[in-house]
Order: sequence, then C-alpha cells, then structure tokens
Amino acid sequence: MKPLPLALLMSLIAAAAYAGETRQLDAHEHGVGQLDIAFESSQIAMELHAPGADIVGFEYAAESAGDRAKVDSAVALLARPLDLFSLPEAAKCTVVQASAELESEAAHDKHEENHAHDDHKHDEHAHEDHAEHTDEDHAAHSEKSGHTEFHAEYLLNCADPAAVSVIEFAYFTAFPNALELEVQVISNTGASAFEVTRDAPVLDLRGMF
Amino acid sequence: MILRLAFASLMARALTVAMTILAIALSVALFLGVEKVRTGAKASFADTISGTDLIVGARSGSVQLLLYSVFRIGNATNNMTWESYRDIEARPDVDWIVPVSLGDSHRQFRVMGTTTAFFDRYKYRSGQSLSIRDGQVMDDLFDTVIGADVAETLGYETGDPIVVAHGLASFIEHDYQPFRVSGILAKTGTPVDRTVIVSLKAIEAIHVDWQSGVKIPGQSTPVDVIRQLDLEPQAVTAALIGVKSRLQVFGLQRAINEYQQEPLLAILPGVALQELWQIVGIAETALIAVSGMVVVTALIGMMATIFASLNERRREMAIFRAMGARPRTITGLLVLEAALMAALGAVIGLALLYVGLAIAQPVVDRAFGLWLPVEAPTLREFSVLAGVVCAGVIVSMVPAVRAYRMSLADGMMVRI
Repeated sequence: MKPLPLALLMSLIAAAAYAGETRQLDAHEHGVGQLDIAFESSQIAMELHAPGADIVGFEYAAESAGDRAKVDSAVALLARPLDLFSLPEAAKCTVVQASAELESEAAHDKHEENHAHDDHKHDEHAHEDHAEHTDEDHAAHSEKSGHTEFHAEYLLNCADPAAVSVIEFAYFTAFPNALELEVQVISNTGASAFEVTRDAPVLDLRGMF
Repeated sequence: MILRLAFASLMARALTVAMTILAIALSVALFLGVEKVRTGAKASFADTISGTDLIVGARSGSVQLLLYSVFRIGNATNNMTWESYRDIEARPDVDWIVPVSLGDSHRQFRVMGTTTAFFDRYKYRSGQSLSIRDGQVMDDLFDTVIGADVAETLGYETGDPIVVAHGLASFIEHDYQPFRVSGILAKTGTPVDRTVIVSLKAIEAIHVDWQSGVKIPGQSTPVDVIRQLDLEPQAVTAALIGVKSRLQVFGLQRAINEYQQEPLLAILPGVALQELWQIVGIAETALIAVSGMVVVTALIGMMATIFASLNERRREMAIFRAMGARPRTITGLLVLEAALMAALGAVIGLALLYVGLAIAQPVVDRAFGLWLPVEAPTLREFSVLAGVVCAGVIVSMVPAVRAYRMSLADGMMVRI
C-alpha cells in the first residue's frame, strides 16, 4: 500500500497548483479592434490591438507558406502607421518608432498545461486540426486554443500636433475584414472615446485641442 | 395701425388670451427647464473630476467604478487589496496615486478614507484644487476634514467631536473613537461637499474591535491602545492615479487590466463619463421629446382658441371688410395676434424659468448635489424661443386662412 499515499500526495499537489492558477481572458470580438492615441507635447503615441481575424482573416497559428506570408505582410503593413492612419499634412508628423507583432492570446491554463506536458504532441495535434478544417473542428478548436491578436505600437513626432484635427483610416482599406475600431484619445483636454467604422473611416479630433 | 388693432383685440378678450399665453409660457419654461437640468447635470458631472488620468478599482464596469469612486453613487462590488495598491504605486510610470476607502458613514454622509495627498491631487472644474475654508488638513489619527455641505447641514465647526458609523445605513455607531473635525472644505459643487474625509489609518482604527461586520461583544480597545496598533490597511475601495507622461496612460491601463494577481479595472474618467452619457442619452431624448410635445400641445391650444374666437368675431371681421379692409389684412391681423401671444408666452416662460431656477437652485443642490447655474440665456435658448414664435405663426395660419375665406360672406349673412 505504499504507492497510495504518494499518489494522494501528488494529486494534492496538483490540486493545490490548480487552485493557485488564475484564469482570465480578454474580450475578443472579431471585426472590432482597439486604437489608443495619446497626445503629449509634440509626441503622439498610438497603440493598436486588432483580432487576427480582422487583419489576416484567420486566427490559427500560420502553418502553410501562404498563411505565413499573409502574417508577414500584415506585420510589415502594420509597422507603417502613416499608411494606415493618415494625419493631416500640416501636422508634419514623422514616425519615431513603430513595431508590430502577432500575439497569440492562448487560453491560459489548459493550453499551457498541454505545452508543458508534451509540446511536440500538441503541435502535431494542432496541425491535424487545421489540415481538415471542418466547421465542427473549428468550433472545438477556437474553444480550446484562444485567439490571436495583432499588436502594434507607434510613436510619432509632429511639428504641429494641434493640426491633427482629423485622422483618416486607410486601415479599413488595407484590412477588408476589419469593421470597426474603438478609439480612445487622451490629450491635455482629457480623455475621450470614439468609434470609427468602415462606413465612416474618419476620426474628428477637433474637440481634443 | 394693425399692431394697435391686434393689441386692442387681444385686450378685449383678456381672460382667454391670458390663459393661452399662460399655457405657452408654462410649456416653454418646462422645455427650457429640462434643457437646463440636462446641461447642468452634464456639466456638474464633467466638472467633478479633472486631472486624474486613471481610476482603479475591483473589476466591474467602468461606469460603476466611476460612479462609486467619484460620485459616491452605489457601492463597490469588491475592494482592492493593499498589496495590489502598493504594486501599482511602485510602477515607474505612476506619478502619484491616491487611495479611496469607502463604506462608512456619518449621519447621511459618506466617510472616505484617504491620504493627505488627496487634497493636493484631487482636482475639479478643469484643474481647480480643493481649499480649506476653516481649520487644517487632518494631522492626527482621529482628525476629519468635512465637506461644506456636511458642515452646513449638521452645523459643525472645527474642533467639534463627531462619531463615525460603520456601514451606510447602520444604527450601530463606532462611538468609542472620538473623531474631531479638524478642517472644513470650501464649497466645490462636487460630491466632496457631502463627504467626511478621514485618514486610511482612521478607517482601520474604526474597525479595530470589529470582526466580519459585527462588533465583538464586550470588547473595546481604548483610544491610546489603538494609537499604538499597526493600522496598515488591508484594502482600499479604489485609487486615483496620475501618470508621469500621458503617453504611458494606455500602457498602464492595459497593465492594470491584465494584472494577474487580482482582477482590477483601470478606467479613463472622461471615457467612462461618455459611456454614462450614452446610457442616459436615451432617457434624455425621451425627456426632451416629452417637453417638446408639451410646447406643441400649448400651441395647438392657442390654435383652438383662435378658431373659437373666429365665431365670436364674425361680425367684427365683416365690419372690417365692409370698411375696406382686404382679406389679407384680416389674415395678417389674426397671425399677428397669434405671434404676439406666442412671443408673450415665450418671454413669460423665460421669466418663469429664471424665477423657478432661483427658487430651485439651492434645493436641488442640497438634495442632488446638482448645481444649476443661473446664466444669461444661451443662443440655443433664444433659438428655441424664436422657434416657438415661428411655430405659433404657422399654427395660426390655419384659422387665419379660414377667416380669409369666410370673413365677408359669413359675417354679412343673417343666420336664421
């Protein structure tokens, strides 16, 4: 009867470890991304979060060459903020810093556990899933392995930031799956929220200066 | 000439006309009043917090967090642990952080535990700081600083002892700890006026002999023993944060919202307020629509009285015509009378509004903390008044056209 206490101990440890975990997931809505814009003296900081579905049209890990190419070109495009969000000429803005990346928002616990236990197997499994991509599979899959999100950060320097009274969102032409951006703007007059949609891809910032 | 005629004609039917004008005046006053309350409420809300970049509290909704932390409306779902508070405080992008601890009350007023930094950091009405009208900021463990309304309603002076009760509507009072009023704040027109401010440690001190919300029977720790205790708070209700650079606001917000150890929520006050207006917007629109309909009803009432008067005035009209007045003159007379009534109604309505405001202002302020400014009418209000007169003219066209057609034939014919 020796193994039993050990097993018991193991399960207790496992239970304790499980209880210590925190589980949380960000809200994720396809078609809707977030853009935060902060004005501080001559600098403008922008941060974009957009679901993978908006940018490349899929949210599984890119496996095929075609998918990889899509992700790469999207990241390259996202790294050029002035092509996506066109600011008035008068503001004379230049990009100081721009970075874009694809984050996979893994459903924490289960997913990570799998990783820890058997990384290789998990990958294979994921691969299989996508090879035969039926609807059912997809539903099960998206439940299991979370969503992906593109994340980009920009820092602009503008000669006359107050001239940024309007921003035109070429973003929607660049990414045909994107429908809406929830925009938060903060300037010296305070914070404000806007919604910019595909139908009206213009942000009016006249009230913010 | 025609103006004098119109005026005299109105005077001849003074009672009916006065009633019509009164109806229009009341409806106009109501419409403008609703508008005043609406813009007053908005301005008063928007003026309550300024200069704070983020508000942090337990994860709930942004509107809820804003309402309970700043406006003292509703209650917190959860508190935020002191450890998380310290964690956020230690972040390099945080310039200042002020804790807010709610949940106790003094009579009908809420007690807020905070640090003295609150008096420097809390800003209202685009950057105005709190100022102490009398006395000083709390300095001792049992010192309190009270808002202007608290002092006025309860008649407190600096130095007065006060008792702080546990829970909002609780009858059990923390009557073992002798708090003292150390300062009274100048009137701000914000919820701070109705708040009793104590130090965070004082909030802990109140609860020394309490466990799970119940007083431990027979136990009461003397004041000097409490002073010796380590009164590190366990939790706060919310915290106001200022960042070093605006560029970091969103990064900090995201970091707090994704904080693993505790479900926290960071909101931008301005954005949360906007969300609140979106919710309230529907009710606002309904209110405006209803008061607009009241104005329309009053104008239709005026049309009805003009119609009724046409009957009485058949002979009068016929005599005008017989004396050489053109049908157009008759029409003009009626329209002018209506315009005069509507204009008088609008002006009296405006006057009623200001009288009402002057009477209601202190009452509303005391009851709801809503400051309705008595200001010269805005362009918008003048356009509303002009609109009422125009609508009056348009409405009066209906009976006027009828009079135009009938004036001669109708009045001259002898009815059998």
